Amino acid sequence: MNQTGTRRRTADPRPTRQTGATPAGRPGRGRRWLQKHGFWVLLMSPVLLYLLVAQFYPLVETVRLSVFDHRPTSPEPQSFTGLDNYRELFTEDRNFWRVVRNSFLWVLGSTGLQLIVGTTIALVLNQRLRLRGLWRGLMLIPWVMPVIVVAIIWRWIFDGQHGLANHYLTQIGLLDEPIVWLGSEIWVWPVLLLTATWMGSPFIALMVLAALQGISRDVLEAAAVDGTTARQRLFHVILPMIRPTLFVAGMIAVVLTWFKFEVIWALTNGGPGFATSILPTYVYTQAFQRFDFGMAGAVAATAMAIVLVVAGILAKLFGPRKD
Amino acid sequence: MFRDSAVRVIGRYGSLVVVMGFILLPGLWLLVSSLKTNQTIFSSTPSWLVEEGTLDHYAWALGGRGLDMTRLMGNTLIVCVLTAAITAFFACLAGYGLARYQGKGARVAIIGLLIAQMVQGPMIMLPWYQIAMNLQLLDTRTILVLIYQTMTLPAAVWLMSGFFKNVPTELEDAAQMDGAGRLRTLTSVILPLTKPGLVAVGLYAFILAWNDYQYALIMTNSSSTRTVQIGIAQVMESMGAQNWGGILAAGVLAVVPVVVLFALAQRYLIQGLTAGAVKN
Repeated sequence: MNQTGTRRRTADPRPTRQTGATPAGRPGRGRRWLQKHGFWVLLMSPVLLYLLVAQFYPLVETVRLSVFDHRPTSPEPQSFTGLDNYRELFTEDRNFWRVVRNSFLWVLGSTGLQLIVGTTIALVLNQRLRLRGLWRGLMLIPWVMPVIVVAIIWRWIFDGQHGLANHYLTQIGLLDEPIVWLGSEIWVWPVLLLTATWMGSPFIALMVLAALQGISRDVLEAAAVDGTTARQRLFHVILPMIRPTLFVAGMIAVVLTWFKFEVIWALTNGGPGFATSILPTYVYTQAFQRFDFGMAGAVAATAMAIVLVVAGILAKLFGPRKD
Repeated sequence: MFRDSAVRVIGRYGSLVVVMGFILLPGLWLLVSSLKTNQTIFSSTPSWLVEEGTLDHYAWALGGRGLDMTRLMGNTLIVCVLTAAITAFFACLAGYGLARYQGKGARVAIIGLLIAQMVQGPMIMLPWYQIAMNLQLLDTRTILVLIYQTMTLPAAVWLMSGFFKNVPTELEDAAQMDGAGRLRTLTSVILPLTKPGLVAVGLYAFILAWNDYQYALIMTNSSSTRTVQIGIAQVMESMGAQNWGGILAAGVLAVVPVVVLFALAQRYLIQGLTAGAVKN
């Protein structure tokens, strides 16, 4: 129905506005719908079809793989194994729970820091400054940088032998001897979180800045007349007003960070050992280093399930309130 | 009301200096280090000044004996230009459709775009790899251009529809009154008005494609298809700390195109991105 209708529609691209001017018979409901909407649906259809084939189908296929034993390198065909992959993952895999814990540390740590630093940057740039547009543009540079370059920058700064970080930290007396940051299971984390914050805060700052500019000066001046301090204005006027934006930005950051594999892979490859492996890097390890696509699918599906639950809880806790 | 005392002004610009320092100094350190000679790069007292500059590292990064950035950048450029052109074309069509469509399911389409924006990387890379393998497209530029659309299209459609919504519908009615078909109206009346948007979306797609690491990592390998990110990452893995100078120079080279393009597109991009984000 839709198919033939669409073809008919394209044969006669000009909409006939008058009712009853249709040549043959009564105009059916479908026909009228096509006249009104057909062209727009036609324009959208290539992209919608592409998204179905290129993103939604792979999503389902990934979940399907998780209940199969499938190795692309082996000649044997894939075989259905039910929940075996999950059972093995949850009970036998010695790295898995560590990877899950790392994922939470990574997402909560870097999202929290990004929100705090991003909001701070936005508050600073929202002041009356000369060349504000320039600062706003420069602020976004870390955000548009290729992740490999970001990795080079921070690997160089935190290099164990020649890094700037070790030099300054020993100079001010915080360190007695240089740390091999990326080689230590503990010290690698501050470097990762700092990198993620440096790269991710500008985008949050951009959104918060737009929200801040939506707050009218009258509100702030009224609050100032009432004798509030700057601190009170920040916590009782400004932050509550930009709460919806902070929520949206935070949710975007949580989901993107949860599935982001590039920052960690470029910086540490998930190492040393599995110290900084998170679920997305573990998918990569399973699929492209061990060539176990079934297991990789199980890791990916688990990651999806967890993020759905976490996003739901966050939405309940911080989401738009009905009142 | 908010009178400017000297303390306030100093506080304001002081905070600006701290923030911009955090954002810009790491990148500046990359640039400064890449220009130093090997002796001064590894000096025990690092200096922010380049006393005796050298372009040796850049020569190594660009040359065929070194990292061969010329070739890597050429590969990446082809992929990025194609990605940008295809994204701009389809985002233009779909964005226009989305901006004007009033029927059922408009919300579903928008939510679909939003979900597609989130469905990335590890969630889709296994089937993509298999399909690429079955179609003999592994290690080709074609597969990169195809998979990059999954990153660029959702937001690009959304941005374009925002730009189209700013064009009053009266213009279309007038064009149709004059007997122009709908496609004609789009190409000769609407598009010229949204050209800045189209350029911004194209540049956005280019930047995303240029910056991609994960898809190129699984899809490409040989030197004729390898992208900048993969080339640098491989060198970093294999030589690590031995040739910091060359790697730093390669990093600078890799970042220049995106920063230049971003400077050109930022006004429209910021407009489009923040409009979408804040409205929700």
